[in-house]
Amino acid sequence: MDVFESRLPGVGVRYDFTTAAGQQLGVVVRRDGVREVALYDSDDPDRSRASVTVSEAEAAVLVDLLGGSKLTERLADLRHEVEGLSIEWVTMRNGVGLAGRTIGDGRIRTDTGASVVAVVRGSTSVPGPGPEFRFEAGDVVLVIGTAAAVGAASAVLSG
Amino acid sequence: MVAAGGASAVLLELGLVLLVLAVVGRGAARVGLPSIPLYLLAGLAMGNGGLVPLDASDEFIRVGADVGVVLLLLLLGLEYTGAELRDGLRSNWPSGTVDLVLGVAPGLVTGWLFGWGLTGAVALAGITYISSSGIIAKLLDELDRIPNRETPVVLSVLVMEDLAMAAFLPILGVLLAGAGLLEGSLTVAAAVAAVTLALFASIRWGRHVSSLIAAGSNELLLLSLLGVTFLVAGVAERVQVSSAVGAFLIGVAVSGTVAEAGRRVLTPLRDVFGGLFFVFFGLQVDPASLPPFLGAALLLGLVSGVAKVGTGWWAARRAGIGRRGRLRAGLSLVPRGEFSIVIGGLAVAAGVDSDLGALTAAYVMVMAVAGSLLMRYADSIPLPSAR
Repeated sequence: MDVFESRLPGVGVRYDFTTAAGQQLGVVVRRDGVREVALYDSDDPDRSRASVTVSEAEAAVLVDLLGGSKLTERLADLRHEVEGLSIEWVTMRNGVGLAGRTIGDGRIRTDTGASVVAVVRGSTSVPGPGPEFRFEAGDVVLVIGTAAAVGAASAVLSG
Repeated sequence: MVAAGGASAVLLELGLVLLVLAVVGRGAARVGLPSIPLYLLAGLAMGNGGLVPLDASDEFIRVGADVGVVLLLLLLGLEYTGAELRDGLRSNWPSGTVDLVLGVAPGLVTGWLFGWGLTGAVALAGITYISSSGIIAKLLDELDRIPNRETPVVLSVLVMEDLAMAAFLPILGVLLAGAGLLEGSLTVAAAVAAVTLALFASIRWGRHVSSLIAAGSNELLLLSLLGVTFLVAGVAERVQVSSAVGAFLIGVAVSGTVAEAGRRVLTPLRDVFGGLFFVFFGLQVDPASLPPFLGAALLLGLVSGVAKVGTGWWAARRAGIGRRGRLRAGLSLVPRGEFSIVIGGLAVAAGVDSDLGALTAAYVMVMAVAGSLLMRYADSIPLPSAR
């Protein structure tokens, strides 16, 4: 598979490639880190028919979901094995909830029964963070538990 | 309109001007048009012979307009990194050359036909040549055309135009100052050397230049960047290279995180002072002198517009873009705006025929509106099927 790179002066870089099924897919990486995923028109192959804009943190989650890491596969397995298990991704926002504080501060497991099993920060992910782990704005937090526990935990996390 | 002078009159008039800009800007955004032509109209309405003459704040608006030009060019320089400009020069010179020839010719010929002399013709050549990267970049984003395959072609033509501006402005400055052949060529040589040096410095020592200006807070960054820019712009003006070029060079030389942060903190400031600049330009044009130039502006717009579409079509075909994409690329080069007015403003301030100001105002209004509409509806324009 060939990935082509084109420079967009003043904007960033665009990468594109053709899938085995013949569809055109493009990714624009802007200078400020925002990404745009674009699908091209089959009648007018130079035109983007639809595009989705994702932040840096969302892009990291998307990569994870697309199978960039083992985490997603394991989660899928886990869901099959345990009936009633709920999984949620929570994005930390500046100044609200637990942003700037630690997992221990939030007493998530004690109060809600849910567990924080991983945190995705930018392009790195932290599996099994301890109680001393400090959240930052933009972190995407993976919470697991019963549906009620996950709901309560995400309320604590995002304030 | 306010008889008594003093600070209260200046503040009243300034508040009125800014509010008028805010109102017309909102109107423009609602109907999907760029705000520049409406700012010009507002200036025309408030100027000499207009509906609401401004007297007290004249001096402030004059200085504000100068600051506006400096900020417009500083942000233009910050837009592209030195490496982007260098790569543009290396790989896009053929389309850049076609764009230059086709863009300059209509203005040069028209200026000559109107009998505005070499200086007037050269100024008009710049006015018809330079596309509005502000209007175009905003529309490409708004219309979701950034991922399109023809977009790099459009952007690289704009990069070449910006580089050409850095060479063009000193030449125009020399012509406007009426310098002799020897003195003139020395100034141009010095300006070209300064442009080359700034590019080289940006590519080679960009990080060091930036770290000199880098600061812990937005406030300090703003003060350092503006201080350096105004100083260099002032020196450039003193040696007749035009303050605009000095500001552009600082923008080019600064790169990396400082450029990123600088763009963020300076954009609102540029919008305010840039708005004052457009009003100031409109103020200088007598509305009564405008109608006779409407026909000429439309004709010039048609010719220079077709030339730009041809340039874009050709450049996109070279890049292997299909016919639809070629048309989009061509139409995306049509809008003219801020930089045409910068050139017109410099020429009028230096005392070139005041009719040039009227033609520039009419031309930019036509091209900003028509260009945006053509870009927006590019895909609805029928294309005869390929033979």
